[in-house]
Amino acid sequence: MSLNMFEGFKFKRKDTLLHRMDPRPKFLIALTIFLLSLIYVNVLVLLILLTVQVPLVYASKSMRRWFGSMRGGTILAAMIFFMNFLTGSTLVFSATMTLRFLVLVSAFSIFFMTTSPDDLGLALERIGLPYTLSFTFTTSVRLVPTIAIEAQTIVDAQRSRGLELDRGSVIERVRKYIPILIPLIVSAIRRSTELAEALESRGFGAVKHREPLATLRMKRSDWAAAITTTLVLVAGVYVQNTMPIPSFDTGIRIPLPWGP
Amino acid sequence: MIEAHNLSFTYAGSKRPAILDVNLGVDKGEFVVLTGPSGCGKTTFARCLNGLIPNFYQGELSGSITIMGTDISGHTTSELSRKVGFVFQNPENQLFSLSIERDVAFGPENLGLPKEETRRRVDWAMEITGISELREAAPYELSGGQQQRAAIAAVLAMKPEIMVLDEPTSFLDPLSASQILEAVADLREEANMTIVLIEHRLDLASKYASRIVVMDQGRVVLDGPPAKVYGEEAKLIGVGIPKISMLFNLLRQDGFDMGETPVSVEEATERLRSYLKDDRG
Ligand SMILES: Nc1ncnc2c1ncn2[C@@H]1O[C@H](COP(=O)(O)OP(=O)(O)OP(=O)(O)O)[C@@H](O)[C@H]1O
Ligand SMILES: [Mg+2]
Repeated sequence: MSLNMFEGFKFKRKDTLLHRMDPRPKFLIALTIFLLSLIYVNVLVLLILLTVQVPLVYASKSMRRWFGSMRGGTILAAMIFFMNFLTGSTLVFSATMTLRFLVLVSAFSIFFMTTSPDDLGLALERIGLPYTLSFTFTTSVRLVPTIAIEAQTIVDAQRSRGLELDRGSVIERVRKYIPILIPLIVSAIRRSTELAEALESRGFGAVKHREPLATLRMKRSDWAAAITTTLVLVAGVYVQNTMPIPSFDTGIRIPLPWGP
Repeated sequence: MIEAHNLSFTYAGSKRPAILDVNLGVDKGEFVVLTGPSGCGKTTFARCLNGLIPNFYQGELSGSITIMGTDISGHTTSELSRKVGFVFQNPENQLFSLSIERDVAFGPENLGLPKEETRRRVDWAMEITGISELREAAPYELSGGQQQRAAIAAVLAMKPEIMVLDEPTSFLDPLSASQILEAVADLREEANMTIVLIEHRLDLASKYASRIVVMDQGRVVLDGPPAKVYGEEAKLIGVGIPKISMLFNLLRQDGFDMGETPVSVEEATERLRSYLKDDRG
C-alpha cells in the first residue's frame, strides 16, 4: 500500500460546490451511498452507485487523487474478490462484494478530500460530541498525512543505509520493518508531547464553555442537499423492499469438491 | 513581574539537577535574553515559568516562582496561559488548525471570551505580527518564518503580560530569524510586554536585549546589560557572543580601550569613529 492512498483521503482547500457544502449533509451523502450499497446485493445497482460518484469527483476537481485512492484500494478489492470466488461464491456475487468495497472507499474518499478537518470538528461538536473528543479526532485526521510523510522519510533513510525491505522470507521482511517502526514511534511520541505542551500553553481546557470564532451554518443549498439525499435513501429502501430487481447472476462459480 | 527564588529542579530518573538555585527577578517591560551552552537548563527554567514543570514533567522541584505578585505553585499551565505566553522551538507542533486565523483564535476561544472579543484580538495579533494576508492559509503552506509568526500571533492573542520564547528561530534561516526577533522587539514596544527570549544567536538578538542572562550547568553565571556581560570574556566559555563584541574585547586586551563593549555593528562603528577622531585630534 503506497502513501498515495492517503492523498485520496486528505483535505485540500479548493473552491467548489462540494468543498463549500456543510459537512453534515455531505456526510449524509457519503453515508447514504454506503447504506444503499449495503442493502442492495446487486451488481447493477452497485455499478450505478459507483458511477454516480464520478461526476461528484469531477465537480470537486479531485479526479487525480480519487484515482489514487481507488488504485490504493484495488489490492484489498482483489483480495475480497478472490476470497469470495475461491471459496465457492459465484462470479457475479464476488464482483458485487468487491464493488461494495470500492463504493465505500470512493464515497469516503470524496468526503474527506472535500471536508476540512476543522469543519468536521465543528460538525462533531454540533451533533453533541464533547470538545476534547472532537478535537482529538480532528487532530488525528490532520496528523495522518504528516506521519505518512515521516514514515516515507524514515524508509528512504534506512534504504540508503542498505536496508532491503522487499527481499527475504516473510518473517525476515517483517523483521526488517522494525528499524522503520521504532524511529516512527519515537518521533510520534515526541510530537505528541510537544503538541500537548503547546495545547496546555494555549489555555486548552481553561474554561468549560468556549465560544468558537468560526461556526457552521446550513445554507439553503445545504438543506436542499440534505433533503434530496434523505429522499433518495427512503426511495432506495422502499424499492429494495417492494420491487423485484433482476440479479444478473449467471451462476458461474468454481466447482469445489464439497459442492456449492 | 517574574520573581524566581532558589529554584531547583531535577527530572525524574536523573541524578543531576537540571537547574540549581536559580534566582532571577525580571521587571515589567524588560527584554531578557537567556543564553548558555546546550543542556545548561534554559528550557527547564522556561518550563517552570508557565507551570509545564511540575504539571507536565515529573521530578523534584524546590524554591518558588512569583508571577505578577502571585505564587504559581498549584496553578495549571492553562490557568497560567493568561499571564505567561509560551512560544516553542518547532512551529509545526504548535499550530493545530488548517487555517492560520482559526489557530490564532484557538487561545482566546479557550479562555472563554465572547466571539466579538476573539475577533478583535485575532485581527490585532495578526496585524502586529504581519500575517494579516495569511488568514486562510494552512500552516503547511507557509514558510518556517511565517509559521513562527503565526505561533507568536496565536500566543499574543491571549494577551499575556509575559512572553517566553524558547529558541523560536532555531528552525529558521538567518533572514527569517532576524525578522522574527524584530517582530518580538516590536511586541515589547507596541503591546508593552515583558519578554524572556532563549536564544543562541546572540549576533542577532543582542541589539534588542535590555539584559543578558547566561546560564551554565544549571546556574545563572552572568546577568546584566549586554555591554557589561559581553565584557566578561572569562566566564563566557561555550557562549557565542557577537563577533563584534569579541573583536572589541580582543582590541582592549591589546591596549585599545574604546570604552564599553558594543553589541551591534552600528554601535561598534560609532565607537570606532569617535575613537579615531579623538586619536587624530
Ligand atoms: N524531559 C526530560 N527528562 C529528563 N531530563 C531532561 C529532560 N529535559 C531536559 N533534561 C536534562 O536537563 C538538562 C537541562 O536541559 P535543558 O533542555 O533545560 O537545556 P537547554 O539549556 O534548554 O539546552 P538546549 O540549548 O540544547 O536547548 C540536560 O542535562 C537535559 O539532559
Ligand atoms: Mg532548550
